[in-house]
Amino acid sequence: MSDAESPPEFDPEAPNTGEDFEPVDVFPDSDDFDLRPGADSCYKCSTCDTNCPVAEVDDEFPGPKFQGPEQWRLKQSEEDYDVDDSVMDCSNCMRCDNACPSGVPLSQMHNTARGEYVSEQMSKFSVEYWRNRILSNYRTSAWLASKMPRVANAAMNFGPARWVMEKTMGITSEREFPAFATETFREWWRAEGGAAGSRERAVASRERRGEDPDADKKVAYFHGCYSNYNTPEVGKAMVRVYEHFGYEVVVPEQKCSGTPMFANGMLDDARRHAEANISSMADLVEQGYDAIASCTSCSMALRQEYPELFDIDGVDEVSSHTFESLEYLRIHEDVRDELGAADVDGELAREFAYHAPCHARNQGLNNQAVELFRDVEGVGIEDVGDSCSGISGTYGWKSEKYDKSMEIGAEMFEHMEDADGKTGMTECPTCAMQMEHGTGYDIRHPLELLEAALVE
Amino acid sequence: MTSAPHIAVIGGGSTGTGIARDLAMRGLDVTLVEQGNLTHGTTGRMHGLLHSGGRYAVSDQASAEECIEENRVLRDIASHCVEMTGGLFVKRPEDSEEYFQKKLSGCEACGIPAEVISGEEARKMEPHLATDIDKAISVPDGAVDPFRLVVANAASAQEHGARIETHSKVTDLLVEDGEVVGVEVEHDSGTGERVHGRTGGTEEIRTDYVVNATGAWAGRIGDMAGLDIEVRPSKGVMTIMNVRQVDTVINRCKPKGDADIIVPHETTAILGTTDEEVDDPEDYPEKQWEVDMMIDTLKELVPMLDEARTIRSFWGVRPLYEPPDVGSDDPTDITRDYFLLDHEERDSLGGMVSIVGGKFTTYRMMGEEISDHVCGKFGIDADCRTADVPLPGSEDFTVLRDYMDEFGLQSPIGRRSVERLGSRAEEVLQTDGPNPVVCGCEGVTRAEIQDAIEGSGSDLNAVRLRTRASMGNCQGGFCCHRMANELHTEYDESTTRAAWDELLQERWKGQRHALWGEQLSQAMLNYALQATTQNRDNDPAEDDSIDFAAFDSGPEDVEVVSDASVAADGGYDGN
Ligand SMILES: Cc1cc2nc3c(=O)[nH]c(=O)nc-3n(C[C@H](O)[C@H](O)[C@H](O)COP(=O)(O)OP(=O)(O)OC[C@H]3O[C@@H](n4cnc5c(N)ncnc54)[C@H](O)[C@@H]3O)c2cc1C
Repeated sequence: MSDAESPPEFDPEAPNTGEDFEPVDVFPDSDDFDLRPGADSCYKCSTCDTNCPVAEVDDEFPGPKFQGPEQWRLKQSEEDYDVDDSVMDCSNCMRCDNACPSGVPLSQMHNTARGEYVSEQMSKFSVEYWRNRILSNYRTSAWLASKMPRVANAAMNFGPARWVMEKTMGITSEREFPAFATETFREWWRAEGGAAGSRERAVASRERRGEDPDADKKVAYFHGCYSNYNTPEVGKAMVRVYEHFGYEVVVPEQKCSGTPMFANGMLDDARRHAEANISSMADLVEQGYDAIASCTSCSMALRQEYPELFDIDGVDEVSSHTFESLEYLRIHEDVRDELGAADVDGELAREFAYHAPCHARNQGLNNQAVELFRDVEGVGIEDVGDSCSGISGTYGWKSEKYDKSMEIGAEMFEHMEDADGKTGMTECPTCAMQMEHGTGYDIRHPLELLEAALVE
Repeated sequence: MTSAPHIAVIGGGSTGTGIARDLAMRGLDVTLVEQGNLTHGTTGRMHGLLHSGGRYAVSDQASAEECIEENRVLRDIASHCVEMTGGLFVKRPEDSEEYFQKKLSGCEACGIPAEVISGEEARKMEPHLATDIDKAISVPDGAVDPFRLVVANAASAQEHGARIETHSKVTDLLVEDGEVVGVEVEHDSGTGERVHGRTGGTEEIRTDYVVNATGAWAGRIGDMAGLDIEVRPSKGVMTIMNVRQVDTVINRCKPKGDADIIVPHETTAILGTTDEEVDDPEDYPEKQWEVDMMIDTLKELVPMLDEARTIRSFWGVRPLYEPPDVGSDDPTDITRDYFLLDHEERDSLGGMVSIVGGKFTTYRMMGEEISDHVCGKFGIDADCRTADVPLPGSEDFTVLRDYMDEFGLQSPIGRRSVERLGSRAEEVLQTDGPNPVVCGCEGVTRAEIQDAIEGSGSDLNAVRLRTRASMGNCQGGFCCHRMANELHTEYDESTTRAAWDELLQERWKGQRHALWGEQLSQAMLNYALQATTQNRDNDPAEDDSIDFAAFDSGPEDVEVVSDASVAADGGYDGN
């Protein structure tokens, strides 16, 4: 008999899925979990509903309490019980997970129900299905585009083409596609000498820092798609900052983290990518590497969603060794101390309006950037509040969701405009798109600032 | 038929309503009286197992054969009350192989389809089963909702001209010249559907024949005419889990014993039970250890029960009867069969028959036998049709799927509603007005609540039984007041208040034995909500009704806040 305790402190090693509740894998090798017992933790308080940004602007959306514990509890036998189609209106911001005082595995329930809905109820011939599939397989499009980035940049934002996308696919033409870099992060990484080069530089740093040159400081970088194809400067900053602290970096083979796939119920796609990621990360973890992501949704996927949704060999080990990039440094290094002596001048000596992504919030990381940078000479940083940016990955890219996405984002835009800084900062690539879209500001990643402050 | 005999049926459980329907369908003039709600007695406090007969296949084969026969009939005529979950008799390593074989051959002897499956196969069906279950026998057990079934029987009886009086207690039998000629009834609130606060009264109902179908209370009715009916009430406890840990009925394959069955029931699973003789069917001890023992024993079959949330526990009394010459000591030895006591033959008192013993599953068969008996008394030659004519709600119920989209309900809610309403779904759910969800846990909408109110007046407990509203994990914490609100404007404030209080009390009562863990958190939250937002801890308006006219109508020019200023954090921003 379990007692509903006060929520445990966030523990990065154990996703908060409710206390004693172990979902049962109904058919081994499938993704069908019986999540009905998860409803035991719900006492209907509706705090999740009041924290749901979609429910706030969308009167038709029944909210996380219905989508999660209520819907699961009402489900009966496996077959023959439809999932309500409103589950497709959830943006998967996962704020409900954080809001719940009682550890109901809300996002797991939503993700699983959505997966079931898409695989069993959604027509595979519908425009919505293909639109969602294309959006959630961003990596594939990005990979293609990276082969000829300049052409892609021009073509993707070419007016008539966007009109066609809007009309035939339901991808909003209000937004501009992000630009593709002419050199991907991985191309740069290879040119820098890959793992061997990193090792040399790390050893040099250790010597400079007076540490043991053979110290066991090594991380595997999960860069995700966006910093590979669109913002390689973030990936470069990660490498330079980690090497500065004496870490050897490896950049293993990897695919999409699966975040956009979860949000679109494409669990088969997500599983394929997760298997590839786990397989390359698990070996490294076994060799003593920790997995580091610079995107908070990627770290969220590896540490929480994978073990909640998939039964893959090594998933738990990878989960418990995954960290976000700033988080990891703050655990192992005295970053504040070094920053205390630092002074930022040059391009990034600015005031920043910082937005904490919802997925960072769920990992307890929503204050890390402000705590790190607020006392640094030469820069200013201000938190723009705890609202959701509203884009939630692919959500804000869908024509029918665009207005709601902007309505959710309105509070953030307003607070950004009220802030002193005219440059935005966030860890999440899609939040960054939304911030830029709503304010026109340039948006940077905390790693870039850390690099500017610490790396010569 | 102008000269149809007038029959009084006492008792609104499965037996009484089954008899009333049968007699009414045969053209007799029937009045059924029940002291509480329909299902107020044992029928409302049973396990919900539609027996395949498997449980009696070794010890009581006559009962087993009746069960499988009626099991087949009810699937047909009461499809909207029955869920054919299937059942398993599971064997743990320490359970006797010999008994397992006896169970199997017993099932075969009684015509109960039975099949042995491996432990592995059993776990494939039911993933939460213990990993050391050896093997199991699968049988066609099912789950049945007693409330819906009884309400449907009563509705059908009414359609055939019967008068159904609930909250009407028989206080005396009218006996003239060695014959029962009627009953004296005290109506709680007048005749017809119940309205709180309406003054009741006593009525003498003169009849040609009386059927005593009061189950565990049969002896008390007998007392009124100096008859000795030796019912031996035996209590059993049942614990309701918050969710279904199993979708199949799980029986333990053991000779007899307490705590050996788990029945999936609607959104929940019900653990049962015990068997202990009591003196008074209305007043017997209910002890926490009975609940603990049940969880502790049944977790040997389904380990996760140990940690799972229970939402309430309740007790029922079996109306066991055995002929005076048998003399069993242990109530588990008393037969589950039923007995028809013709008091003319037995006690030389004409005009009345009692039916005692039996099971819910065989209620229809009992009704048929009694009705045959009654018709025989009056020389009426009318065939029993209750095995062939579906109950209201179970007619032509093949298009469940097609229904749901039409009602604009979210899928699981639509699905649940349609399952509860059966073929009545369209008539009930097709409304012009808005149809919000009133009870979120069970997915009950306003239209269904309104339909229930039409059927049972201001009695919110009866509305609850018809719809399941307030029977989910919050146990009414979030919906009792909404249900009460649905009584407005049909009923006035004091009626509504009384009905609301009664519902709340009933909801709290069953939770007393579930107050630990999550359900305790739930209860604390419910209490806080009900006390702070509804004045339920100490309502100054409790005794006097509120003078609504004394309130002013608010400021003249209220500014409507425009949509644009809604902030994403839930508040209105700005001023
Ligand atoms: C713990 C338990 C579990 C059970 N589980 C199952 C099961 O899973 N499957 C199954 O088939 N059977 C089961 N049974 C047996 C089954 O519940 C009963 O056999 C059946 O419900 C009896 O119905 P009834 O109508 O004869 O009695 P009741 O339902 O008790 O009906 C008698 C009615 O008479 C009314 N009454 C009494 N006195 C008066 C009066 N003076 N005036 C007016 N009305 C009066 C009472 O209020 C009551 O509503 C179970 C029984 C128990 C106790």
